Formats: sequence, structure tokens, C-alpha cells
Amino acid sequence: MTTKEYTVESQLKKFPSLVPRYLIEIAGVAIIYLLSNYTLDFSSINQKGLKIAVAALKGLVNPSIDLITRLDSSGLLYMLMETLAIAFLGTIIGIVLALPLAFLASRNIAPKWVNYICLTIISIIRAFPAFMYGIMFVRVTSLGAFAGVLTMAVSSIGMLAKLLIEAIEDMNPGIVEALDASGCSPFEKIRYGMIPQLSSNIVSIVIYRLDINVKNASILGVVGAGGIGASLIFSIGKQAWGEVGAMLLGLVVLVLVLEYFSTRIRKKLAVGE
Amino acid sequence: MLDDILHIFYPREYTLSNGKVVKEKFNWTPYITIIVIVLSLLSAKICGVKLSVLSQRGNQFFVMLKQMFPPNWSFWKDVQKPMIDTIVMSLLGTAFGCLLALPVSFYLSNNFKFNKYYMAIHRGLLSVLRTLPTMIYASLISLVIGTGTLAGTISIAIFTYTICVKMLYEQIETIDMGPYEAMESTGASRIKCMINAAYPQVRGYFWSTVLYCFETNVRSAAILGYVGAGGIGVQINTQLRWRAYANTGLMLFVLVVTVVVIETISREIRKKLVQG
Repeated sequence: MTTKEYTVESQLKKFPSLVPRYLIEIAGVAIIYLLSNYTLDFSSINQKGLKIAVAALKGLVNPSIDLITRLDSSGLLYMLMETLAIAFLGTIIGIVLALPLAFLASRNIAPKWVNYICLTIISIIRAFPAFMYGIMFVRVTSLGAFAGVLTMAVSSIGMLAKLLIEAIEDMNPGIVEALDASGCSPFEKIRYGMIPQLSSNIVSIVIYRLDINVKNASILGVVGAGGIGASLIFSIGKQAWGEVGAMLLGLVVLVLVLEYFSTRIRKKLAVGE
Repeated sequence: MLDDILHIFYPREYTLSNGKVVKEKFNWTPYITIIVIVLSLLSAKICGVKLSVLSQRGNQFFVMLKQMFPPNWSFWKDVQKPMIDTIVMSLLGTAFGCLLALPVSFYLSNNFKFNKYYMAIHRGLLSVLRTLPTMIYASLISLVIGTGTLAGTISIAIFTYTICVKMLYEQIETIDMGPYEAMESTGASRIKCMINAAYPQVRGYFWSTVLYCFETNVRSAAILGYVGAGGIGVQINTQLRWRAYANTGLMLFVLVVTVVVIETISREIRKKLVQG
């Protein structure tokens, strides 16, 4: 009988060679270096930038009080309200559009060929970046918040539908089968078998997407689809740093407050009261 | 009938045969539904939603799509460079952001007992920075260091850093501290323990986070050109201003194909990474 010797040396030899890992790391660094040489252009840095940076920092810590306290439609509060309204309405329309698509795309609800068609529609909608929808809807409704609402609605369909499909496919089929066995009509099966299982999931998904949509609402301003983004970019362009500071402050506070509540509500929904 | 409708809002009471009064469970759903409907109508008022506009001019959406549809393939030469720029921008931004995030996230996770106050301040600062999208960083930075891909790369790196750190420290806090303690008891230094006992537990997750960030960054990098931070957004903006929709169509096509290809590949790799 041979005894296996467990010495430090024999164990150390078992350790895989590090050479391939080092080679991969060196190659990675080399690729990053080459790519940065190819793309990045450092010549645009000059002295003027430093002055702008100092002025910007000064403005960001001294937000314009005038803008914050103004209550009319050019004030900060109205802009934030508009942003919130765009995100809210966009999310609501988005979920209304996403629900039927998600049901038809779930394997336990609809036949396979219907799933396939709906999944294709969802991935086509998802593939376009949100600002592209913004550009197209601005042409439909002209500049303004309405275009933002439509953009938000269409661009949230993809994610909403994906999360909804997961929730629907996770449903317990036993409950619906039990209702079926006791002779319930299709409507009753949906009302008492599916909705109670899904409602908390749906609310949680909607709140999650609302959170993301408020964050993204500032992007829409760039293409002229309303919200705080347009004024923000405009203020940055004319280097009115006090206004920029006020708007960024408002945006950060809005998103943080919303994030706090959304996390709390979603935790409550997931755990149960 | 009226009674039935009213009972939607408050629970019914039943008197059982033994005289006991039983109440239905209270239901919040109708109230929430009404609040949501009222808020939606209010938002519609604020945003100036007019359904008549949609029915009259809704076809414009498809008119524009139709104008884009046979994309101008000869424009391909002018698309190549900005498209590669966009991908490289997000690649470099992701690389720098994630490489910086890896050590910091170890420092910020509370199972290694680093300075509590520093940790709280850094985490708070990160959650404030996380609220701003890449585009706002890009518009600020492109003013400071000049328009171009460098501004885009830096803003992507900042954004990636803020989200990557959070995803990583949340994962690091769930690791098994046994190997770390065992190694520490042999007298290894803290950094060595982290590299050899803690990092291997999150390695797969780290690379999956890197890929996820890259995926989202390619998506968001397209718009950075609008605020002067390089990439394909600059071209899209110019071509749209010239109303050259066929050229825009080609750029959009290339962008969508790139995003879908990158997402598909990265999702497959991530699935493998998480499953081990």
C-alpha cells in the first residue's frame, strides 16, 4: 500500500500555473493602451478648462436661491413636478401596454407561436435606444412634455414586459387548477386565481421602473421632450452655474427621496406586511 | 346594486347564526386605484397630453420610420469611425471605472471593519452621484476638458464606478468569511487575505458586473454625442438636423445591431459566469 504524502511542496505543485493568467492580464492592458491611443484625443485640454471647472464648482456649491424659490412655470419646483409627471404617466401607460404583451408572451398562458410573436415584438421595441423614440415622438407631438410621456411609455415596455413575464411564469399553477376543478369560469379564475398572485409583483415592478424613469427623464430634455433636462443642458451651455447647481440639487433630492420610498415599499411588498 | 358598489370601499359585515359579527378583510386596492387614476389625470394635464394630436399626427411616427427604412448604405464609411469610437469609449470607461471600483468596494464593505465614518461618507457620496445619468457628467466634463471622446470616456468611467462599487460591496458583504479568517490566523497581511481568500469568492460576480456595465454603457454612450462627448451621437445629431433620414436610418441600424450583438454575447457569458 502506498501512502500519499501531503507535503507543502506537493500541494504547491498542484496549484495551477499562473502564466496564462499573467498573459491575459498583459494582453488586456496592451489592448486598452492601443485602443486609448486610437480613440482618445488629449489635445483638447487647455487652460480655459481649469477656469470653467473652478467656476462650475463655485456655482455647484452656491445654488441659485432665486430659481429654487420661484413658483411659476420657470421655477425649479415646476420643472421637477413636470419631470415627475412625465415619468409617472409614462410608467402607467407603459405597464398598460406591457401587461397584455407579457401575458401573451408567457409560456403558461398562451400557445407557443403566440409567445414567439410577442417576444419578438418586445425585443424589437427594446432594441432601439430611448432617445431615438424621443426624436420620433417630438416630430409627432412637437416639442414638449407629451413627447416625453410617449417616449417613457414605449421605452419602458421592454423591461416591464421582461419582469412581468418572469412573474407570470413563476405563478403557482395549482391555484388556478383548483379553481378550475371547482367549476370556476375563466373570468373568476383570473380574478381569484391570478390577480392575487400577481398584484404585489406588478406594483413592485411599476415602482421600480418609475424610479428608473425619473432618473432617465433628464436625458429626454436633450432631444426636446420636456422635463428638467432641457433647461439643465441649456444652463450648462450658457455656463450659469448657480442655476445648474440648483437644478442638480433638486434632481438629486427628488431621485433620492423616490429611491428611499420605492425601496421601502418594494421591501414591504416582497416580505408581506 | 348600489350597496354592492359601496361595499367595494368598506368591508361587509356578516352576522353568523350564533350571533357573532364577522368582518371582511379591509382592502386598499380601490383607494389606490382611484389615487393612481387621479394622479394620472393630473400628470396628463401638466404634460399637456392631447389625444387628438395622437390621432391626427400619430402617423408621422411611421412616416419618419419609412424615410429611414432603405438606409443609405453608401454612408457606411462615415459611420465606421464614430461607431468604433462609441464602443471603445464605453469599453475604456467600463475598464477604468471597474478597475477603480474593485479595491474601493472591498474598502467599503462592512465585513472588513475599516473606518466606519469614512465608509458612510463615501457611500453617501456615491449614492448622490449615482442619481445623475452619464449624460449630465458628459455635458459638464466636455466643457472642462473640451469636446471629444475623452470627455465621454471619463463620464462613463465615473458612472460605472458609482454603480459598480455598489453592486460589488453588496455582493462582498455576503461572502463566507471563513477562508479569510483562516488565512489571517496564519499571519498573512490583510491585503493578501483579501486577494487570496475574499476576491476568488466574488470573481465570477465581478466579471459579470463588468460585462453588465459594458452592456448598459454601450446603450447610453450613443446619446453622449448630443452634448459633445464624441461617438455616434454627434453624427446622428448632425444628420437629423440636415434631415438626412436615410443616413440616420443606417446609423440607427448599425447601433441597434451592435447593441443587440454585444448584449447577446455578454448575456451568454454572464450566464456561464454565475453558474460557474
